Amino acid sequence: MIAALADRAYFVAAFLLLGVGAYMLIGDRNLVKKVIGMNVFQSGIFLFLVASAFVTGASAPLLTEPAPYVSPLPHVLILTAIVVGVSLTAVALGLIVRIYEEYGTLRADLVEEVGDGE
Amino acid sequence: MSDSTGTAADDRLEVGAERPPRPYVESPIIMATVRIVAPFVFSLGAFVMFHGADSAGGGFQGGVIVGTVVLLIAIAFGIGPTREWISSSLLTLLVVFGVLLFAGIGLTALVFGGAFLQYEVIPVYEATKYGIELVEVGIGIIVSGTVVGLFFALAAGYRDPDGTEGER
Amino acid sequence: MTPVEAVLLVFVLATAVATAVLRDVLAVIIAFAAYSLGIAVVWLLLRAPDVGLTEAAVGAGVTTLLFLLTIAKTVRPPSDELFVDVNLPALGVSGLLVAALATTLTALPEIGSSSTPVATSRVTNYYLDNAYAETGVENAVTAVLAGYRGFDTLGEAVVVFAALIGLLVVLDREVLA
Repeated sequence: MIAALADRAYFVAAFLLLGVGAYMLIGDRNLVKKVIGMNVFQSGIFLFLVASAFVTGASAPLLTEPAPYVSPLPHVLILTAIVVGVSLTAVALGLIVRIYEEYGTLRADLVEEVGDGE
Repeated sequence: MSDSTGTAADDRLEVGAERPPRPYVESPIIMATVRIVAPFVFSLGAFVMFHGADSAGGGFQGGVIVGTVVLLIAIAFGIGPTREWISSSLLTLLVVFGVLLFAGIGLTALVFGGAFLQYEVIPVYEATKYGIELVEVGIGIIVSGTVVGLFFALAAGYRDPDGTEGER
Repeated sequence: MTPVEAVLLVFVLATAVATAVLRDVLAVIIAFAAYSLGIAVVWLLLRAPDVGLTEAAVGAGVTTLLFLLTIAKTVRPPSDELFVDVNLPALGVSGLLVAALATTLTALPEIGSSSTPVATSRVTNYYLDNAYAETGVENAVTAVLAGYRGFDTLGEAVVVFAALIGLLVVLDREVLA
């Protein structure tokens, strides 16, 4: 059991990161912290994919290095996903700035109350 | 937009209501460090961008590093002066040029009778390799321009309906 | 699993938990920057230098700055306590998520085994065997990114471009800088 966990430690870490990210997304009332939770959740997925590409003793997928190599395909996906992720984070933060201008608060529950009152 | 001599009393990034915009930090250490480090970071970003074919790197990585140089300068010397230094039209031109460069290389392959982005039909020595390098440069331009644009847009904030801009 | 990897994973998980439990938003942002730096080193250990470069510049640099700008533009709620109160329903839901994911753990291959579906995949080996001969590019990641999957990457670049336009629309602005 312990050995099986140690062999899959990166997957365990990825699952725990998904849990932490989901907790922040659901449980935290501050909108900025919700966005940070979204980022943690997203990097949990990245960790899962990159860890699945890893081969012990292999070199990075630079073909000047000696074979064998780790798989380059997950790296390509994650690379673009990180940059797309920062763009989407910026849009989410723009929405937060806008929400603050409209409602004067960053707490999700208070935003709902103000919205109901109108 | 151009009125960077702020109006808000709680303006923390640019001190002084009537004076011309000046760097907001008193600490000369940050400014001196940025002045020394910025050219090296820019060179690193350009190296990573152009050398993506033979070592770790490429357009996405290099573009972000080049973009952070501008963010460094903006943080050290104030966002208002940096915004005037990098004009909006330059940034827009850069990002649009990047997208057009990428799409243009794809369309060039179409002109020579290949599929979209099929580099090898272009009659140039090692067309595939140089096609990939050019595409990476296009990506780098898009990404660096976008990172800088996102930063400045977020720093400018929401335009109030009554016309007063939350300029910081 | 070397000791370095173990310490690094513990660091990453500890900083992730810190982002969840700290109350002050500025402290959370700083913890998130440390988390990003830690995970960038994890990418290096997993032989993904391209991803590590991007993560170090994006996660620890750009994202942190954007979060700081946001709390400068909005508000940083004053806090007397160090930690947030635990939200039990949310903890239950995320605990369920982790438990559901953990049931798949024994079905997953061992990390680093050379017989995993990813390592033995026809696609992976096609890229590794033919990338240099077909594209003349020595970095297989670049070859796949701009060569084999160039159309995909064009889409990604346009998404980034569209996010910039979207932010301008959200903030009701007409110029970038």
